[in-house]
Amino acid sequence: MTEQWWLILGLAIGTYSIRLGGYFLGAQLPSSGAWSRALTALPGSLIAALLAVILIQGGTADWLAASIALAVAMLTRSLPLTMIAGIVAVWFLRISL
Amino acid sequence: MKTIQETRRRTPLQEFRAAIRDIIPLAFGVAIYGAAFGLLAAQAGMSELQTGVMGTFVFAGSSQIVAAERLVAGAGAFAAIVAGLALNLRLLLMTASLRDEFAGRPIWQVLLGVHLTSDENWALMHAARAKGMHAGYWYLVGGGASLLLVWIVSTVLGVSFAKALPDPRAVGIDFAFTAAFIAILCNLWRGVEDFLPWAVSIGCAGALTLLTPVEPSWALAFGGVAGAAVAGIFQND
Repeated sequence: MTEQWWLILGLAIGTYSIRLGGYFLGAQLPSSGAWSRALTALPGSLIAALLAVILIQGGTADWLAASIALAVAMLTRSLPLTMIAGIVAVWFLRISL
Repeated sequence: MKTIQETRRRTPLQEFRAAIRDIIPLAFGVAIYGAAFGLLAAQAGMSELQTGVMGTFVFAGSSQIVAAERLVAGAGAFAAIVAGLALNLRLLLMTASLRDEFAGRPIWQVLLGVHLTSDENWALMHAARAKGMHAGYWYLVGGGASLLLVWIVSTVLGVSFAKALPDPRAVGIDFAFTAAFIAILCNLWRGVEDFLPWAVSIGCAGALTLLTPVEPSWALAFGGVAGAAVAGIFQND
């Protein structure tokens, strides 16, 4: 078997195990109290961390464009408009800065 | 007489279709990324068939990109698998947070649902719900199935037309998901009680990335867990 097929096999089995493992982990945790509050807060917390890591790896243009996207998101509450504003802003800022 | 609860509740098919409609802007971003991945897959010596099989059974864009990049760099299959899987740690937390959607469902629906959980449709489901929409299991699956299809088609086309594609960074398209996550995070904001958990999450992920040699994928998983723990300990029900 070639290197490519080994990569596909390993990544597929590993990724599916992680996804299914999360299901079993969630099912094990208590359904009230601190554990439940933590699981409820997890999505927002995880997306906040994801954005922090992405933006730290980006430059000034990314930071400014993210501020513009944040303003558009708060004003419009619209996903497509925020995406368009962010892409246009970062494209413009990267060529001008 | 119908109560408000009944009129707002939607059938599985309605949820599935609503998700397909709502995911469209994100699907465009995924298509661009898919094409970019196809370019990389071609460099890593992968055929259309291999790329299609990988997209179908891995279905985790960023880890596929990192793994293929490692293979191009000559790191070998094992190192490429480890690098890709490290990036997928957050999926464990995502499917764990979906336990109410999976509870009481037949096993085939659980096995399907976990596979179709990706950043975009998982976050979109939470954002839709924060807006007061009825969005549960079938909303997740509808969005996931759309993205899977778009991912397979775009990555395979990317391999075939590898030479003709522009660099996503040059046209700002790489920023599409950053902007999308900003919009989704705004929808998830429930009020001041979220401030401390999110600040802790951003602080931990940021400090680990900036100050330690920890991989960004570990930093973000750790930040997410730290923020959730703070919410568990300090928030009230």
